[in-house]
Amino acid sequence: MFEGFSQAFIQELQEIKRSYYKLFLITLFPLLCFGLVIAIFYKGVAYEMPVVVVDNDNSKLSRKLLFNINASPTIDIVAQKTDTHAAMKLLHSSQVYAVLEIPKHFAKDVYLKKQPSLNVMLNTQYILIGKILKAALLESVSSSAAEVEFVNNLTQTKNPKSALGMVAPVQLYVVAFFNQYKNYFYFLVSALLPSIWQIFIVIATIVSFGSTFKEKKEKKFFGTQHIGAKIVGKMFPYTIAYMILGVGYLFYIYGCKGWYFEGSFLFMVFAMFVTVIAYQGVALLFFISGFDYARTLSLGAVYTAPAFAFLGVTFPIYNMNEFALFWRDMLPVSYLMEIQISQANYGAPLGSELHKIVALLIFWLVFIPVVWRIKQRLQR
Amino acid sequence: MSFFDVFKGEAKLLFSDIAIVLTIFGGVILYSFLYPQPYLKESVRELPISVVDYDKSDTSRNYIFNLDATPQVKVIRQDMNKKDALDALVANKIKGIIIIPAHFKKDLALGKSPTIALGVDNSYFLIYGGVLEATLKTTLTYAAGMKVANLLKQQLPLAKAKEAYTPYSLNDIALFNRYNSYTQYVIPAVFILILQQTMLIGMGILGGGINERIRRKEKGYFVDADVWQIIVSRCILFGGIFFIHMIYYFGFSFTFFDVSHLASIEDILKFGFAFLAASLALGIFLGSIFTSREIATPAVLFSSLPLVFSAGFVWPLEAMPEFIRELALLSPSTPAIQGFLKLNQMGAEFSMVKENYALLWIQVLIYIILGYYFMSKNKRKIDGTV
Repeated sequence: MFEGFSQAFIQELQEIKRSYYKLFLITLFPLLCFGLVIAIFYKGVAYEMPVVVVDNDNSKLSRKLLFNINASPTIDIVAQKTDTHAAMKLLHSSQVYAVLEIPKHFAKDVYLKKQPSLNVMLNTQYILIGKILKAALLESVSSSAAEVEFVNNLTQTKNPKSALGMVAPVQLYVVAFFNQYKNYFYFLVSALLPSIWQIFIVIATIVSFGSTFKEKKEKKFFGTQHIGAKIVGKMFPYTIAYMILGVGYLFYIYGCKGWYFEGSFLFMVFAMFVTVIAYQGVALLFFISGFDYARTLSLGAVYTAPAFAFLGVTFPIYNMNEFALFWRDMLPVSYLMEIQISQANYGAPLGSELHKIVALLIFWLVFIPVVWRIKQRLQR
Repeated sequence: MSFFDVFKGEAKLLFSDIAIVLTIFGGVILYSFLYPQPYLKESVRELPISVVDYDKSDTSRNYIFNLDATPQVKVIRQDMNKKDALDALVANKIKGIIIIPAHFKKDLALGKSPTIALGVDNSYFLIYGGVLEATLKTTLTYAAGMKVANLLKQQLPLAKAKEAYTPYSLNDIALFNRYNSYTQYVIPAVFILILQQTMLIGMGILGGGINERIRRKEKGYFVDADVWQIIVSRCILFGGIFFIHMIYYFGFSFTFFDVSHLASIEDILKFGFAFLAASLALGIFLGSIFTSREIATPAVLFSSLPLVFSAGFVWPLEAMPEFIRELALLSPSTPAIQGFLKLNQMGAEFSMVKENYALLWIQVLIYIILGYYFMSKNKRKIDGTV
């Protein structure tokens, strides 16, 4: 048995040495993809998003307000227009993400306590950008308003404390649990890397087996004995390679970037191992459906490409429909991602992770039909 | 060789290849239903939270009631102390904790400005944003009500008091995707990428397969035909199929998933034509350099996630490094997503997308030249050996 395993293992290593394509599938290509998404989100925080202003008042107060808004790190007032129509053009052509309009007689109305309101037209087609910008605008406008109010109250009461109490009768103190960084790099990259990683596992496994069958070398490779052990031996170089890449991205996120890993790192690595094998099994399951190399690649693409959307990292699982939740359950990476979040962020006790590992292990059952079908095929 | 024979040869090769058919028909239709699935409920609602009420007054209960009434959260439990609530949070039963301090009612009345504490799970940003928005809204409404009440105590008439509680305010108007619908956000952009990628995979498998045959010294139309004949045949075939797919996506799918289409049909067709042409040209080029049938799917697949996230609709272009923005311009999907979103989702005029439109035609030019060059080179190899 072990002989069959090591024989296939060594043979596959030689294959990888011979073929740049297979070698790059476990080195250059995944690293390049990792590098690209890391670079996209590297800044992590959206600074200086372009906004255009229409100041119909042009008073000392409105200029002061605009100064305060422009001081927000998120907002960059790139232009001032005299009419709203010209400003809206910039918004429609996506050159700015918001148009802020200060009404006529703004300063006068504030003085007369008529409570004027500023209009901001936000581009909410880009949901995330719209949200970040709206929060930043609300914050700087309401703090500027509070400043004016505080001064008014102070002239009335002569008591700073009660003047403040009048500005904000209730205060809100917000604690962000588990990810204090408020950094989109952490949110998105920590989920994008496993999503890319699983695509590579499936593709590399299909390439390894598919090319052997396409070149009609399967009889030579597998022989007649210990087929099961040889299948495992053939896929094992990739298991190791993707474990290294997987642990590598964990080290990058939680080591180099310094995000905190609360729970058991070792357990996380174990879960990763179970996941790699699960994906290799699924890839082989696709392959035995017809032993057609190119067609299996298409199946693998359909299966792995949309995985990120189903992870629940962007759009929450609480609001997914039944079918989406079912499809999500069919993707090993969704269990891995849950474990990654609950270990890294919550430091959850390992007992509560058990059912996720069991779910991942259920994927291993696909090896039964896989070994059986490949055996059958070889005997033909 | 007559053009018709070349066309027939290409068509036969395409439709008899199950991997191509599976991708450009099966994949396109399957994705059109699968991809929107997670987002069909459109927005974030009823996130489970817990409240720890140390005050237990009618005021605090009223606050909790108002919080529960917001669409974003649902108070599913009340805990006696912070610890129980935190345990529930770690066990992933709830996503946020609101703590109302003791003497909340009393402090409010005394104008001591009590502090409500909110702890939110920040592992998922939409969840964080949802809980925060609901709590902020409830608290601000509450504070505004308090201020009006205080002003009324100062003998101000109600109408005046309502106006005077803050010097000025911000009125935010959501344009284009008014209800922050996630379907509306993801589908129009991702569908464009799906069209491009499935087309590239199909054309890549076909081109790579032909290159394999040439290497194996097989005979066929691809040996005898003129390079231009092959390019034109392939563009007519894939262009025709994907023109129908495009109409299916922009017409049927957008209507089915309630995605808005603000652009006129002429604008969509004009811009869509440039997008299809650029994708076809890239497909010709990739088909000429792939050495086997099996390279196309992985190569195109690996580029998908980086392409989605560098198109500028998820993460602002301003926050991306320069080289990423430039690299992304190599793919037709980048100007196409930007242009289509402006036209169809934001109601822009055609003149506002002319830069995207021009870039698509530049891509057509470059990729056709490259494709022609490499296809001729592949053919010269045969001519040399024959």
